[in-house]
Order: sequence, then structure tokens, then C-alpha cells
Amino acid sequence: MTALIEVKNLTIQFRTDEGLVTAVDDVSFTIDKGQVMGLVGESGSGKSVTAKALMHLNARNAVYSPESRITLHTENGPVEVLKLKSARDLKIVRGGAISMIFQEPMASFAPAITIGDQMVEQLMLHSDMSKQKAKEISVEMLDRVGISDPARRFSQYAFELSGGMRQRAMIAMALSTKPKLLIADEPTTALDVTIQAQVIDLMKDLVREFHMGIIFITHDLGVIAQTADKVAVKYLGRIVEEGPVREVIRNPKHPYTQGLLAALPKLEDLDAPLTPVAGDIPSPLERPSGCVFHTRCPKIIGDVCKSKLPHHTQVDPTHRVACHLHTEVPA
Amino acid sequence: MALVTLLTVSLIVFTLMELVPGTCAERYLAFKNTQGSQITIADIEAEKKRLGLDRPFPERWGKWVYNVFVHGEFGDSCILRLNINQLLADKFWISLGICMAALILSYAIAVPIGIISASSQSPITNNSLRFVSYLGLALPNFLLALIIMLISTVLFGDSLTGLFSKEYRDAAWSWAKFGDFLSRAWLPVFILGWSATAFALQTVRALMLDEIGKLYVTAAAARGVSGRKLLWRYPAKHSLGPVINSLGFDLNRIFNELPIVALILTLTEAGALLFESLARSNDQQLAGAIIFLLTASIVALNFATDILLALIDPRVRRGLMG
Repeated sequence: MTALIEVKNLTIQFRTDEGLVTAVDDVSFTIDKGQVMGLVGESGSGKSVTAKALMHLNARNAVYSPESRITLHTENGPVEVLKLKSARDLKIVRGGAISMIFQEPMASFAPAITIGDQMVEQLMLHSDMSKQKAKEISVEMLDRVGISDPARRFSQYAFELSGGMRQRAMIAMALSTKPKLLIADEPTTALDVTIQAQVIDLMKDLVREFHMGIIFITHDLGVIAQTADKVAVKYLGRIVEEGPVREVIRNPKHPYTQGLLAALPKLEDLDAPLTPVAGDIPSPLERPSGCVFHTRCPKIIGDVCKSKLPHHTQVDPTHRVACHLHTEVPA
Repeated sequence: MALVTLLTVSLIVFTLMELVPGTCAERYLAFKNTQGSQITIADIEAEKKRLGLDRPFPERWGKWVYNVFVHGEFGDSCILRLNINQLLADKFWISLGICMAALILSYAIAVPIGIISASSQSPITNNSLRFVSYLGLALPNFLLALIIMLISTVLFGDSLTGLFSKEYRDAAWSWAKFGDFLSRAWLPVFILGWSATAFALQTVRALMLDEIGKLYVTAAAARGVSGRKLLWRYPAKHSLGPVINSLGFDLNRIFNELPIVALILTLTEAGALLFESLARSNDQQLAGAIIFLLTASIVALNFATDILLALIDPRVRRGLMG
């Protein structure tokens, strides 16, 4: 497999009135063509900020560290995403080779512009096709994602569609430009469970058909288990564990991943008490020293956790974890 | 709908006119009395009969509404004994024109500047705008009027008061008179527009900031929409709804401020006349007529803004059509 996008040493801080707040801390990962990566973590773990960085879409008060590097491999050679400046250059990562769908399909459509107009606008921005052609493709895409009567939906507004239909339309719009990478930021969180399953199935089909890479951002490990090839677990901006989905879920190494898995409700044993990960996420202004998880870790081994940042250790060739429990030579 | 509102308004206005202690007949005769005439109870009764004031309330209201709606007649003024239509003549239209012009001026300035300033990150732009707008909000209109009068008197020897130059004051309307009117009317328009602009600027800017933060703007940026298109087609278009909605309210606010400015600039317009008729002479017929005309203008403006709103917002449109 060949790499589609490589993220290296990505560190993002935000300038705020209270000082610099770290949102993403030294994150590296690679997604291959046609691969689905799940990005899991609680709110505030920097999932969305990481995703937006791939489109260079973070707010203007975001500061990228000098070592941060995001490389997108296209047919015309590699593109350094963070070096893109002008709107014209940025188009390749904004709706061109990379598309994004958001958590709230209702809020991500402009309320007073028809769905069709927004789709046509995007297509015309990224190609030199005629308006007529753009309309044909849009209607085709709406049909492809399972929206009935697509020609009528094309001229409707987001508020006239049901929740599931809106997210389908959003997916249709995101895929219309045939991106190589789709970023799905909690795409099913706002949907009913039944609709959720339909949308996930649809996305799986489309990945196969378009041979796209997907970053699937969610806090729901259950959804990840169904969709992703590999998973990265984030906590306070750091990737604490990364590996193939089955491996990580069956054999979690990091206490945080173990905690997340234990917190999932179990249908086969409804009387079992829920076991949430103890404690609260620390304020971003008070980042813990050493291992960022030590304030909540049930398996803390001592001062080393409080003072020394654990490096990533390969527990096997594809599975790595950042925890002192697994550091080969405990320091 | 607008017609029902107007009828309701007419009922309220008419009731308010009735609630003023004393009737038109008593008021006129009392006025006569101060002029030295001897008045008896019989005189008052006769006057009441002449004015139809002995009739029951619904009948009088019906007659008033009928005259206003069908003939555009407001009857006679209580004190001056003149036909109100003649008395008001162009004054109401001049007032309305000045207010509308101030309203248009204020939004013509506030909408583009408010939108651009909301998207601008430059602290210099933002702070200077804030300064100007606070100045506009804090500086009373009458003070501004006085300052301008003072400056123009010192510099040009003309206080810029009144709506017409001497030679045109009693002339019939003509292009020359209209030109003269325009050369003077800009001052009240400017003064009224000044604070209205400051207010509108704050509103537009706040609404715009609110829209810019919304997800659909980020989503549009994520699709590659950028620059001016991202600003005007997306948040700007959507932030204008509430602005359009409040136009009627703004017109009323400007009209409220008109009499003070008119007083200082000695303008002959309806706002000052309303003030005069309410506060000094208790001329309920005249006051009622002006209030009714003002409300009717606002209702008409609201009707127009509703249509405008339906044009830019499909949610309103679908709501109207069911």
C-alpha cells in the first residue's frame, strides 16, 4: 500500500487570552490509499483540530510548531499542506483531494441556499465543468447515496430534509469531487441508531467504490470497530495508542484504551455496572506533567509517570503505545 | 393581514383620543374663553351636537375610520378649526421622507461596514469603528445639531435652519423648491442618520460575528469556498434577516428623535406638530391623525420588509406558502 497522507510531529497550540493552549501534541500517523483510520478520544482530545489541520482550516489563532509536517501525496507529487497559503492553492486540500463531513448535517448546510446550489458551487470551484454538467453530477451523487427523487431534493433546502437524508446529502456533496481522503467528524453522532447503521454501511460501500482513505473521528469505539482498519486513541492532544482495530480492541495496551473499552455498555450483561474512566479531563490550561494521563490512570507506577513523558513503544510491528508500563527499559 | 393591523391600530388610536380628558367641544370653547368670550353650558352642548360627540363610541369610531380609509379625511383640528389634511399638508410626507432617508442612509453605511468589520481581524479597524459608533450612540442628536449650526453660522453665515430658504417658504412645489428642500434636508437626515447608523452598525456587526462562527461557514470553507464569496454569499446573506426585520422599529425610533432635531433646526414637520398638539394644545384630533399616519407607515414598511424577508429566506417563504 502507498501512503496517501503523512502527518509528522504535528503540534498545534491556540493563542488565547489565558496564554497558549495546547490542542494537539506531537502527533504522527500515516493513512494509506483506501485505508480507514479511526480517531478516538473524549471531547477536548484534539480530534477535530487534528482533522482540520489536514485542510489547514483551523482558526487564525492556531500556532503550528515548526516541526509540524503534513504531506499529501497526489498524482502530481507531494503537497506540503501547512505551507499552502493562497485560497487557490488551498483548494486542493479543501474540497479537492480532501473533503470533510461534519457532526451536524443541519448546521453544515447554509440554511438559505439550496442543497443543489451548494453542490454545484463546489463542483465548479474544483473543475472547469459547465453548470449543467455540475448539476447532472450532483443529482447523480444524490441518487448514489440513496436519496429518493434526487432531482427534487436538489432544489430543496436543508431544513426540508430529514436528519438521515441531510447526512446522506452531505456525503454526496463531499464525494462529488472524488476526493482521495474523506474526513468524517462524528458523522453519525447526531443520528438515530438505525439511521447510523445505514450511513455507516453507505460509507463503507463508498470507500470500496471510490478507493478513498477515511479518517473517522468519533468517541464511539463501537462505531470504529465496525468501520475502521486501524485506530488511533487520543488523549489531551497526544496519540496514546495506535494499531489495527481488532488488535487494539482485543488486546488494548494503554490503561486509557482499556478504560474506554470497559466503559462501553454491554448488551449481553445488562446488570453489569457501567465503569466509566475515573476522574475528569484536566483543563487544557493545566496540562499534567509527564504522562498526560497520569492524573486519571488506575495503573500509575510511580514518579516516572508524573515526571517523564512516555515514548511510543512498538508492542508489535503495527501496534504502538505510549505508556511507561510498556517501555522496554523502564527509566 | 396588514389591513387588520391598521383597523386595530385605528381603534387604539381612536380610543386613546377619547381617553384624553375633556372633549373637542370643551377644548375649543375653553380656548375661546381664554380669548375673552363668555361661554355657557348650552354653548358646549350645542358644540358637542355639531361635532357629533353625542353619538355612541362605536358609531363615532366607525365614522372616523370610514372617513380616513375611504376619503383619507381626518376631520378638523380641535383648536385651530382647520381641516387637518390642509394643516398637515406636506408636513407628514416631509417628515416621513426625512426619516426614511435617514433610515436608508444609516443602513447603506452600516451594512457593508458592519459586515467587513466583523470579518476583519485588524484591531485598528475594529477599535476605530467601535470609537465612531460609541460616539454616535453617546452624542445626543440635539447636541450634534447645535454643533453643526454653530459651525455653519460662524463659517457660512447661514444657520442652515428650516427646510426651505426664505424665497421658497410659501411658494408652491416646483423643481426649484424641491432642489432647495434637498439642499437643506440633508442636515436633519444626516443628524438623524448619525445615531441610527451607529446603532445599526453595532447590530449588523454582532449578527455577522454570530453568523461567521456557524458551522456552515466552516463547512463552506472546507469545500474550498473562499474570499468574498465566503463572506457575502454565506454569512452576510444570512445575517441580514434580523436586520430587515427590525427596520420598522428603527423607523419609529428615528421618528421619535425627529421632533428634538426639528425643534432646534426649526423645521416645519409633523413630528414637531405632534409634540405641539399633544403636549401644549391637547389637540386630540390632530395628534390622532399624525399617530395614525405614522403607524400606518410603519405597518406598510413592515409589510414591505416581510416580503423582502421572504425573498431572501426560503424558510420564511415556505412558511408563508404553507
